[in-house]
Amino acid sequence: MKKILFAILTIAMISTPFFAQEVAPKKDKVQGHYNISKFKQLHEELPTPNKEHNAAGAPGNEYTQQKVDYKINIVLNDENHSISGNETITYHNNSKDILEYLWVQLDQNKRAPDSKTPDISGGGPSALYSPAKFIKNFMGKPFQGGFNIDHVKDANGKEINYMINSTMMRINLPQPLAGGATFVFNIKWWYNINNYREEREDRSGYEIFEDGNSAYAIAQFYPRLCVYNNVEGWQNMQFWGRSEFALEFGDYDVSVTTPKNFILNGTGTLQNPKDVLTTKQVRRYKDAQTTYDNPVYIVTPEEAELASKEKSDTTKTWKLSAKNVRDFAFATSPKYMWDAMAVKLNDKTVMAYSLFPKEGKELWEAHATRIVANTLKVYSKHTFDYPYPHATSVNVEMGMEYPMISFNYGRVDKNGSYSERAKKGLIHVITHEVGHNFFPMIVNSDERQWAWMDEGINSFVEIIAQNSYAPELYPIGDQPKNITHYMSGDQERLSPIMSQGGTIFNFGANAYEKPATGLFILRQTIMGPELFDYAFKTYATRWAFKHPTPADFFRTMEDASAMDLDWFWRGWFYTTGTNDIGIKDVKKYHITDKPTERTINVYKRYGLTIDQIPPSLYLIEEDSEEFTEDLKNKKAEDYAILKEYLENNFSAEEKATLKAPKYFYELTFEKLGDLIMPIIVEFEYDDGTKERKQYPAEIWRLNNKEIIKVFPSSKAIVKITVDPDEQTADVDTSNNIWPKTTTETKFDKFKKNQIKG
Amino acid sequence: MKRVKIITLLLIIPLFAFTIHKNYTSLCEIEFVENKQTIQITLGMFIEDIENALDKDNDTILKIATKYELENIDTYFEEYLNSHLKISINNKKSFYTYIGKEYDDDIVRFYLEITDVTKLASIEVTNTSLLKYFEEQQNIIKIKANKKNKTFYLDGNTDKCLLNY
Repeated sequence: MKKILFAILTIAMISTPFFAQEVAPKKDKVQGHYNISKFKQLHEELPTPNKEHNAAGAPGNEYTQQKVDYKINIVLNDENHSISGNETITYHNNSKDILEYLWVQLDQNKRAPDSKTPDISGGGPSALYSPAKFIKNFMGKPFQGGFNIDHVKDANGKEINYMINSTMMRINLPQPLAGGATFVFNIKWWYNINNYREEREDRSGYEIFEDGNSAYAIAQFYPRLCVYNNVEGWQNMQFWGRSEFALEFGDYDVSVTTPKNFILNGTGTLQNPKDVLTTKQVRRYKDAQTTYDNPVYIVTPEEAELASKEKSDTTKTWKLSAKNVRDFAFATSPKYMWDAMAVKLNDKTVMAYSLFPKEGKELWEAHATRIVANTLKVYSKHTFDYPYPHATSVNVEMGMEYPMISFNYGRVDKNGSYSERAKKGLIHVITHEVGHNFFPMIVNSDERQWAWMDEGINSFVEIIAQNSYAPELYPIGDQPKNITHYMSGDQERLSPIMSQGGTIFNFGANAYEKPATGLFILRQTIMGPELFDYAFKTYATRWAFKHPTPADFFRTMEDASAMDLDWFWRGWFYTTGTNDIGIKDVKKYHITDKPTERTINVYKRYGLTIDQIPPSLYLIEEDSEEFTEDLKNKKAEDYAILKEYLENNFSAEEKATLKAPKYFYELTFEKLGDLIMPIIVEFEYDDGTKERKQYPAEIWRLNNKEIIKVFPSSKAIVKITVDPDEQTADVDTSNNIWPKTTTETKFDKFKKNQIKG
Repeated sequence: MKRVKIITLLLIIPLFAFTIHKNYTSLCEIEFVENKQTIQITLGMFIEDIENALDKDNDTILKIATKYELENIDTYFEEYLNSHLKISINNKKSFYTYIGKEYDDDIVRFYLEITDVTKLASIEVTNTSLLKYFEEQQNIIKIKANKKNKTFYLDGNTDKCLLNY
């Protein structure tokens, strides 16, 4: 009986470091509440798993996906900057659903005179108006953009009824399309291409160089089928301009007719190099397929110079073919030179290409294709081997991605020189846009709904890829610290990451940097690279060539790692909360064998007297009245009770491995922010050595504000720093150091150095 | 040809905002340090942006933060700040000392100080930096004073903010 009581008391003492003070109940009855734990599972936020998106975060055993194949003949008119196309679409309804209509994206209608996009942006007068913008806004001569649909016909040439709602076109099927059935139809269309340097435009268009030649970056240019799936039905949310798009996978056969002196590349493999390139160029094109170390020219600067001076009245037709892609884009100009490098990925070789005018030459020939190659290698390592035959970067003054081809900025000065910043920018933009091949061109999330799933996840892998290309320009580790500027901003101007792209404030920080930093923290600090990388690769592989949702990502990351991360998703992705952990108090304890007042009081409560306390050791706080100076020099082994116990229960060998701590610290950590994070602590000892301890995030599961830990140590601690490497996006580090010193602010330090210097 | 160049600067650079996260922002952090009776101001902006603005204003090619940088570059900065960042303390126009600048990656950070402020009853900040050349420029002002934090987002439409205590 006594034994049991002792056990109970021991437990009581261990688990309650202090007596909870009895507080008289307040008059007002405290109301109950729902589960408000930060560790509450996401059952209510995530959709219920089903047979298409299963509970493990993988495609379910009844997952289906539509397939859409395109045959398109395109003519580019350089005289009046217009483009026309004749497009035959084969729609495979692989679902079990019967479809009464099909939805087609008409992104060009964003530029139509009656586009509603300008109507939804508010604000007073702009700081400036370009002539083009002034005329467009105030002089009633809007750009005559947008699709002109000549006809929509079925396979037999019979007109099909359709309806256009802004950027979406509904094809009213003559008969409902049964599950498993296929529907073939044809659309003939044309539109005026925008000048992307005059009209503010960021995804496609043409530009005219000083020498009079033009360059075209053509994308989102043909009527494209929307995704139909069991999560959203038809993904036909309007294209307002910001949130991008999702499309079905399919096979493309495309021919593009350009003036004869133009060079072109696009999505897919060139089918007729002999028709469109010179004999020399065809030979270099083939030789490049086995040139791994350095980029080589397929179209040389001299050839580009000659083509720029040529005026051609004749045309030629480029034929491209692509399998299992979700879109098609191309770029073409007489000014393009073209360089190439083969990239080895495990057992296959893919090509890295760059096309650029002389306005970007020195920078691009030095870096562009190498950056493409580096991106393919790093991304392949973290996901799956790049499945397409090439990745092409084209010099266009923007940053935009399409399958196999992306448009990237970066030009040189008149004398051909460029700054280190221009190089850094080029590494950034090419890595980012080529990286988009993986997310979302292959792992095909719904960009219009969830900008973070492509931009954020891509920006995360980009951190690693950029660092691999230029570690001195892109060091790893500052990301968590940098995001605090955004996260600590005005709450009214923050949106959770889990917001539809069109409704987000501060798009760049919200959809790119914050999710990327979140994944970075998961990898570096919470899960560790080994667990993270396996789970991340699993997600990418599972959803390659499919349509994942946020839940699939969240579930896979947990399912493949045995880590409950619901608290992380909840805080970092579903809220605008911040992290702020500090060290509030540190108390020092010493060992005694004399029962402390606290122990005696515990016994008293149970009606026991002091002599009934079994022989024990006690910790006594340095600042308490019971403390006596002599305790400072006592070691645990000095006490007979411990010494005897050691003698009786351990062999000499075992004893040699046991080491009693000399100091005991009671550490109080406070959490002022609403996010959960692990506590990373660095202890600095009196002999100058340092030690780290990381307490898992779960330390906060029962107390969201404050945590007390006892830390035994053989050496005296002189300094404690919470999150010394700033890994957790702590928005206020002024409470991260003990003992509290009036730390010099950054400003004071700078000022001091400035005066000294 | 000059016109083309202007258009290039005005219009091209802001394009990246959507597809690549080049943000047209500056961050001005203002802190009233009561025990030192000073207002400490740090203003960070992208080197590329301020360089474009200064080059356009002065018809120069400054090559900031490179080995070709001018020795007296600070006078350019100081002049630019004096005409674009204006601060009134307790309803009176205040003058700040330009302590210096530092380059941090692609950002330049200016350190400015207003001394002899015993009490802060109100602060008004006008920041028109970079608005002339970048349509989407957003100048963020974070004020930390009297134990309160407040953030303002200034842009081409609103270039001034006022905080009363």
